[in-house]
Amino acid sequence: MAATSCGSKPASPPLRFWATSYEGDYSPHLMPAFTAATGIEVDVQSVPSTAAHEKMLTAYAGGVLPDVFMLPSGWIGEFATIGALAPVPSPDLVTDIVPAALALAQVEGKNWAVPWAAAPQVQFYRRDLLQDAGYASMPTSWNAWREMGRTIKRRRPDEFVFLTLLNWPDTLFSMLYQTGASMLRDHNTRGNFRSAAAEAAFAFYLSLFTENLAPRALSTEVQDPFAAFAQGRYAVWPSWPTLLLDLHRRRAEIPADRWAVARLAGPNGPGPAAMIASNVAVSAATARPKAAWALVRHLTSATSELRFQQLIGNLPARASAWASPQLQAPVLRPFAEQMREPAMAPKIIEWERIQIEVQLVAERVVRGLLTIPQALATIDDRIDQILAKRRALVEAGRIV
Amino acid sequence: MTRQERTAWLFTAPVLAIIAAMLVLPVTLALALSLTDYSIYALADWSNVRFVGLGNFAELLRTALFWRALANTALFAALGVPMAIGASLGAALLLHDTTVRWKPLWRVALFAPYVTSVVATAVVWRFLLNTRFGLINYALGWLSLPPVDWLGDPHASIPAILLFVTWKIFGYNMIVFTAALSSVPQDLMEAARLDGASRWGRFRHVTLPAIGPTLLLASVMSVAGFLQIFAEPYVMTLGGPAQSTVTVLYFMFDEGFKWWNLGQASAVALILFILILAITFVETRIGKRNQWL
Repeated sequence: MAATSCGSKPASPPLRFWATSYEGDYSPHLMPAFTAATGIEVDVQSVPSTAAHEKMLTAYAGGVLPDVFMLPSGWIGEFATIGALAPVPSPDLVTDIVPAALALAQVEGKNWAVPWAAAPQVQFYRRDLLQDAGYASMPTSWNAWREMGRTIKRRRPDEFVFLTLLNWPDTLFSMLYQTGASMLRDHNTRGNFRSAAAEAAFAFYLSLFTENLAPRALSTEVQDPFAAFAQGRYAVWPSWPTLLLDLHRRRAEIPADRWAVARLAGPNGPGPAAMIASNVAVSAATARPKAAWALVRHLTSATSELRFQQLIGNLPARASAWASPQLQAPVLRPFAEQMREPAMAPKIIEWERIQIEVQLVAERVVRGLLTIPQALATIDDRIDQILAKRRALVEAGRIV
Repeated sequence: MTRQERTAWLFTAPVLAIIAAMLVLPVTLALALSLTDYSIYALADWSNVRFVGLGNFAELLRTALFWRALANTALFAALGVPMAIGASLGAALLLHDTTVRWKPLWRVALFAPYVTSVVATAVVWRFLLNTRFGLINYALGWLSLPPVDWLGDPHASIPAILLFVTWKIFGYNMIVFTAALSSVPQDLMEAARLDGASRWGRFRHVTLPAIGPTLLLASVMSVAGFLQIFAEPYVMTLGGPAQSTVTVLYFMFDEGFKWWNLGQASAVALILFILILAITFVETRIGKRNQWL
């Protein structure tokens, strides 16, 4: 061993890169081009998305964050606050970015990560089931949307219509964004759910369950939502662009002519909806910032993003990539339209937790354990409790 | 100090050092942490940490979910301990019977769930408990009983998880009880039989006193185990439906490792520690009164 390694010069260890879900699984496909151009090897690790938040926080606390990692836009503020991120070194990395993705990624006007992909929430639907019920296209207003659900339910009483599970917060939050509920007040230090707008969103959300259009179930009970959608047990699935990859991979279960995509219905037509944007960030502690930023530049280039769009359905964050003919496919049009109208979540550390706790209360409403006014009061109390530390720091002038 | 004492200290020193470093020190630090408001902001800047005294405990007492978690954990322990020990003792008594053949085979088969992975078996059980396609509801249908929404109904979720947990862990205590049963004196058993004692009478007055200490040990371990139940609800239900399977440890995990409120989480750990200590103390008192210790 010692004899063989004598001749060659010791290679530097590979750069470490973490990404979640399909981005993590498919990132290795983007690396050969990078290694060929720069000679830098990259070790990609796919982190399960359900455990990514705690894993990355623990990695930071333990001083073992990778050089480069993917970060959803909602977490950038948090990781910047704790000092885990290196600021974006040159402004040209973030020129030519879709405005919505850039707005989501910036924290107080500063860039801590480079947007990589944008994922607005839209709805996938069964074209054949809607047609059977007499609908040629998807209704755009809440009332018409729910009425369509009732029509489908009448024809197929044993099945549900809307696939939105009780521990998926995004459907409810899209509704809250659509009614314009402000959710927090006093510089984001207190809950503000006791409002007519929030009540309207909750009432509409609840009606989908009381009318049995959506199941009272958690994701642990629906083992394979895709199969359920393919079998026609649900006609409408509010979801994300990565579902395009599943629809491609499992096209034997559901042929392409049976499904289509539309923007989510709103109170009076489509409006802002929840949006997840993935970004690439560099650890503040990396020993090789130059190589790390080179990798960021490679991953977020228009070429890489278009390749990724082909592989996993993700929509590019580079504005120039949208000129490519590849993105003119009709199925992508609702995504492109929705991206022009993103919802802006409050950029505070606790937001991730608040979303989950709001959904927990919403679940209790759906199960009949709380009324909506009780629920909204409970949420405000709980948010005030969660934000106590932030409130103290804001009042002391230590953070804004 | 005599030479003998010095040698004794020398021999025990390595172990004592390890205990001090691995147990005493972390526990003391956790105790100290529970008196601060250590949170994610402390990760950003140490000067954001404040000493809050018993503030974390007061905060916990007014958190509805903490009380719910305590109640759920109490329910897990109150139902689970008798269920698990009953199943273990029942299986051990059946296996102890002289008419049973292929004993080693049965022992291995019944012990196997204990050594399989929680996650893998939980996936299988989630299929078994499925409302629409699950085998358990299929069996209920045979008995012309209505299907139960095992993991979706807040009232059925704890029993559903207990079914799984009991199946998973009863093998361990079964082996312990099998060993204890083989030490029950045969001459006493025969004497009781000659005196005309019934099957129940022999169990109550001969077997039970003989295996009393083992029973006490099993119950102490089971109570401590059930009060710390975490992995099963984590993989089966994620604490749902309607937080009906959030346990104290689950609550602590969320607070500490998901949201990084380590001050609060340490306070939960301390409360759980005191609870387990108190219950174990009561159990040993009962054991002493019955002269099992």
